[in-house]
Order: sequence, then structure tokens, then C-alpha cells
Amino acid sequence: MSYADVLAQLQGSALAHAISKSNHLIGATLQILHIFGFVLLLSSITVISLRLLGLTFTNQPVGRVARDGTRLIWIGLALAVATGTLMFVSGARHYGYNWAFEMKMGLLLAAVLTQVLLFQRVVSVDFPRPALARASAVLSMTLWFAVGLAGRMIGFI
Amino acid sequence: MSTLLALAERIENTPFAVALAESRYAFPVVEGVHLIGLALSVGLIFLTDLRLVGVLFKDVPVPDVLRQLRPYVLIGFAAVFVSGALLFWAEASMLVENPAFPFKLLFIALAGANALYFEWVTAKRIPFRAAQARNAGVASLVLWTLVIVCGRLIPYMQLS
Repeated sequence: MSYADVLAQLQGSALAHAISKSNHLIGATLQILHIFGFVLLLSSITVISLRLLGLTFTNQPVGRVARDGTRLIWIGLALAVATGTLMFVSGARHYGYNWAFEMKMGLLLAAVLTQVLLFQRVVSVDFPRPALARASAVLSMTLWFAVGLAGRMIGFI
Repeated sequence: MSTLLALAERIENTPFAVALAESRYAFPVVEGVHLIGLALSVGLIFLTDLRLVGVLFKDVPVPDVLRQLRPYVLIGFAAVFVSGALLFWAEASMLVENPAFPFKLLFIALAGANALYFEWVTAKRIPFRAAQARNAGVASLVLWTLVIVCGRLIPYMQLS
């Protein structure tokens, strides 16, 4: 089965039809929830990153700021991935050949790997090494901002 | 034709607006900046609201949260406002005719009024009343949510 067949199968599935053919407000609702997930994700990463950079909540240990923020990161990511998957299935042939979508997936992979392998390890201690803390904050924020930018471009390609 | 629509058509027929609307990359990038600015400004406001409601960062005193996040909220708003003005410039007539757009502006105004009342009245009282702060947080969560919903509905409500 080729890539094109897989995309066609997905877009022709009952699930895809339920999303795209029944009522356009279902698609709009998914888009709105996708944005909420992203806003939650990005703002909590921003708050933790600002603490890592020594710009906010400096009288609080990194670990304590991160504990509250990290829960929201995963809630936001779960919401964005769940709604994003449904959006992809409903328009697989549109997204499958969109360079902005491909770029977004590449950046997303890099951002999630950075989050799991670097960021979460750095913030798991109360006082991480400053240079490492700053580097992971900048890298993580850059990648997630780029995911958002590429994602917003998909609809205009 | 209404005066507002005539004005909107004049705005979007200026050479700059035409160039922006027809550009291959500039327009999507401005849309992207609008989203990132939103995530920064409204996103950090959401986190502040969750602190006021008592869900998040309970160890950090409320005035610290407000004061320390404010510059980044304002940076986000600057990005949202500038990109939003550019998007309006490029699509003025579509927006003035769009049913979702006036509601988006209304909810922005209400959210702004709620924030100013909180900053100038509620937070000035020392010690401020926790119940009042919680109400302001809930109102802010609801109003900014409505702003995002109306904003995302704009392309689904185009008349033409």
C-alpha cells in the first residue's frame, strides 16, 4: 500500500466522513480545541522557561514552578494531539502533501524529544546548572514557537 | 453600501493591503505571529487566572504572579495587536461583514475592562479579598475563551 493509498483510505473512512461531511461546526470545534491545547502548552512552557532564564519567580525553586506547569504541558499537548489527529484523518490528502504540515511534524518531533530528553530532566531538580537551564529554555521555546508558526501556515499553502 | 463597508474597501484596496493579502509567505507568517502572540498574552493570562482561582502556583503570592508575568503578557499583546491590525488591513471588508468579528471585539473589550477593574480596584485593596480575585479570574477565563472561539470562527462565517 503506497502513501497515497493510506491517505485516501484515511480520508474515506467513516470517522473522516463523520468529521468533514456532517456539519462544518465539528471541524471548527476541533480547530478551537486544538488552539486551546496549544495555548495551554506554550504558556506553561513559557512560564517554566522564564524561571529557568532567571526572569520570573526567582524566589521559587525551579522544581516547584515546573511541577505545576508540567501538568498543564501534558494536558495541553494531549488536547492538541487528540484534536490534531482527528483533523488529519478528516483531511488526510490535503495535509499529506502540504510542506508546512511536514515541517510542523518534523518540528513537533524535535520539540517532543527535547521536552522529554532534556527539558523535563533539567526541571526535575530544584536548582539546575544555570547554563544548562538557559540552553534548554531557549531551545524548547524556539521549537514550540516554530511548531505553532508552521501549524498556522498549513491552511494557507 | 454602508459607510463602514465603503471605508473597509478603501483600506483593503491600498497598495500595501493588496500586496499583503496576495503575498505567498507574508500573510501566513502574520497569521502565525498572531497565534504565537495569543499563546503568550492570553496563555499567560490563563495561568494568572488559574492562580487567582487557586489551582496553580499556590506557593507564589498573587502580587508576584501579576507583577512578574506582566511584561511578557504585554509583549504578547503587542505582537497580537500589530499582527491583528495588519490582518484587518488586508481583509477589512470581509471582517466588517463577518458576524463573528464584532463579537470578538466585544469580548476583547469586556476582558480588558475586567482586567483593568481588577488591576485598579480589586488588587489595590490590601489585603485584597480572595473571593473577588477568584471572580475576576473566572470572568477572565470565560471572556478570553470567548475571544478565541469567535476569532477561530471568523473563516467559518464568511458571507462572501
